[in-house]
Amino acid sequence: MIQKKICLVGVYATGKTSLVRQFVYSKFTDKYHSTVGVKIDRKEVVIPSGAVNLVLWDLEGRDGHGDVRPSYLRGASGIIYVADGTRPGTFEQIFELRALAEKTIGTVPSVFAINKADLTDEWQVTDSQIAALDASKWHALRTSAKTGEGVEATFQWLTEAMVVGGKA
Amino acid sequence: MSAIRDFAELRALLVGAERHDLDELRRRLDELELAPEELAALLPEAIRRSMAESDRLAKVLAPTIEGSLQESVEREPHKIADAIYPVLGPAIRRAIADTMAGIVSTINRAIEHSLSIQGIKWRIEAWRTGVPYGQVVIKHALVYRVERIFLIHGDTGLVLAHETAEDLEEQDADLVAGMLTAIRDFVNDSFNQEGGGDLRTFEVGDRTVHVEQGPLAVVAAVVKGQPPVDFKEQLQDTVALLHSQFGRAFREFDGDPEPFLPAADLIADHLETVVETDQKPGWGWASRSMWLVAGAVALVLFAVWFAGNRRWHRAVDALNAEPGIVVLDADRSWRGGTFVGLRDPASADPGAVLAERGIDLDRVAFSWEAYLSLDPSLAEGRVRTVLAPPPSVTISARGDTVVASGTAPAEWLAFAYRMQAALPGVGYLDLHAVEPRFSSEIATLRQTVEATRVMFPIGSASWEMGAGTEIDAVASGMRRLNAAIGAIGYTVRYDLIGRTDITGSRETNRTLSQRRADAVRTALVAQGLSAGQLLTRGVGTTDPLRSDDPATAAQINRSVSFVVRLSVTGSEGTP
Repeated sequence: MIQKKICLVGVYATGKTSLVRQFVYSKFTDKYHSTVGVKIDRKEVVIPSGAVNLVLWDLEGRDGHGDVRPSYLRGASGIIYVADGTRPGTFEQIFELRALAEKTIGTVPSVFAINKADLTDEWQVTDSQIAALDASKWHALRTSAKTGEGVEATFQWLTEAMVVGGKA
Repeated sequence: MSAIRDFAELRALLVGAERHDLDELRRRLDELELAPEELAALLPEAIRRSMAESDRLAKVLAPTIEGSLQESVEREPHKIADAIYPVLGPAIRRAIADTMAGIVSTINRAIEHSLSIQGIKWRIEAWRTGVPYGQVVIKHALVYRVERIFLIHGDTGLVLAHETAEDLEEQDADLVAGMLTAIRDFVNDSFNQEGGGDLRTFEVGDRTVHVEQGPLAVVAAVVKGQPPVDFKEQLQDTVALLHSQFGRAFREFDGDPEPFLPAADLIADHLETVVETDQKPGWGWASRSMWLVAGAVALVLFAVWFAGNRRWHRAVDALNAEPGIVVLDADRSWRGGTFVGLRDPASADPGAVLAERGIDLDRVAFSWEAYLSLDPSLAEGRVRTVLAPPPSVTISARGDTVVASGTAPAEWLAFAYRMQAALPGVGYLDLHAVEPRFSSEIATLRQTVEATRVMFPIGSASWEMGAGTEIDAVASGMRRLNAAIGAIGYTVRYDLIGRTDITGSRETNRTLSQRRADAVRTALVAQGLSAGQLLTRGVGTTDPLRSDDPATAAQINRSVSFVVRLSVTGSEGTP
């Protein structure tokens, strides 16, 4: 079976671990657990060309001071950038993280998960920001680790992009 | 002529430029070899392209490079040494460190095993074969198990192949490998700032994870127990082998583990020999039970020794407390013991004292020097030892006074009296209560003398007619008794007791009785008996001889009778 390493990166408390939990175990909890270092999980995804074994590296969230550890990105076939739709600041930092990742491992398929879509009241992502993403041809999805919205689609899309070779 | 010139002009006009090019091309064809400057400009790109297409160039260049390197080394070796030192230095240091770590682990194992039963077995083997103990330990110390082995892709941390020892549960190799890679990355990031080295081993509980890193892939082995020293080398060999076989596949890995199926066989094959040296089942149990038995035996032996020792010391103390015994030296060996000291013959039997305290007399030897103790408590013992009283005599002691009572042969009593003052440590020996037993001859003679009565007529102090015979018989008996009694160290005295009948006044009777006794005495002295041994007593009527018939009583009391008094010569004792 084809195996792929993918990394989840983003600012702290954007829901990276929750996305993985929802994706792998279909579970969600409101409690916040800070990830120290890296958590590794595995999930099989089936795409038209066959099954793919994803090894998910859930990296410690960037807290504004420390950076994502570049060595953890090494060997990743795809990256899921996670931002918090209720915190525009996290959204902005994704661009910095992407630059860092590309500098470290080159360009790999990636997807932008704008998480916490369930918190509609606090949702602050503006149309212009989404337009900016479109302009950079960066596939962006609204996700909710709580309701599961967009989670499956995010991983599915990335897997296909990695295997088929479609860069985004 | 002009036509020719015109043609040349025309040609120059029409194809002048091409002509120039043609000349240039012709010149290049003439000098096919490139100018150095041109070659220098083209070479890097040419090499790059050649390398991208195939490794032909590398192959072609290899002999040349080897040759020039060799020549350079021959000419100026230190230049090469200086150049490669930064590369070789750390490598050599690492190799030395590995060797030292191996030695240390060997020493640790040697120490660990030196006190076990196995260790003792190994020591015997070393002694038997003449091989140093350390080598024997190394030979045997392969008690370990490689439980899991992973081949992990260097960059992605993805598992390319993994094998698990039999009867162990499969783990999610992807997660293990992922975490391993993350840990390795973290270690490299954190500690590898100055090229210090990579993660080599780490411990999880009682397992050690050995990580062997190659440039493109990593082999990790989860080992329980102590692997042999060359285990790391084996792993390194495996990594090298994998790189030589799968180098290209490692580089081109895109998530498809298919090309690495043969690698699984390789890692399993290569490590199979190691798995075979699993711990022998049952050994632990056997070892424990042997230790238990050995411990119990040691405990029992110690208890026996301790009890024996206590008993011994108590016995020695008891012996020393015994009067008349001075222990100067008491040696205890596993076979028994020896006592050296002073002993008064009158003291208690040391063997009995020891036996009473549980000492086996068969295993004890004594060496006593005789001496005399003045300890008063020995008085009784001294009497017993020196005088050896017959069983009919009872001896008792109060302090240093010893009292004897009972009956004893007359000869023994005489001996006892003679020894009376010569008993060291005995204050006074009281022999008065001992009744001497005389020989039948003496007893008969005594009886004969005491049975004799010299009879007197009424109111007279001259014996009856015919009583002279009685006096002769008494004198003869006395003489024989004197001889017999003198031979056994005794002295005899005779009481001559004169009596009267009850008629007449008391005073008259007393005087008459005295006169009667004196008369018999005079007669006996005349027969040669010593006056000094004849004591007369006229008792009158005060101590009459009894008879139921008054006439007989009156008659038998008109007499002189005899009492024999025997005593040990020189003693004041009265038997």
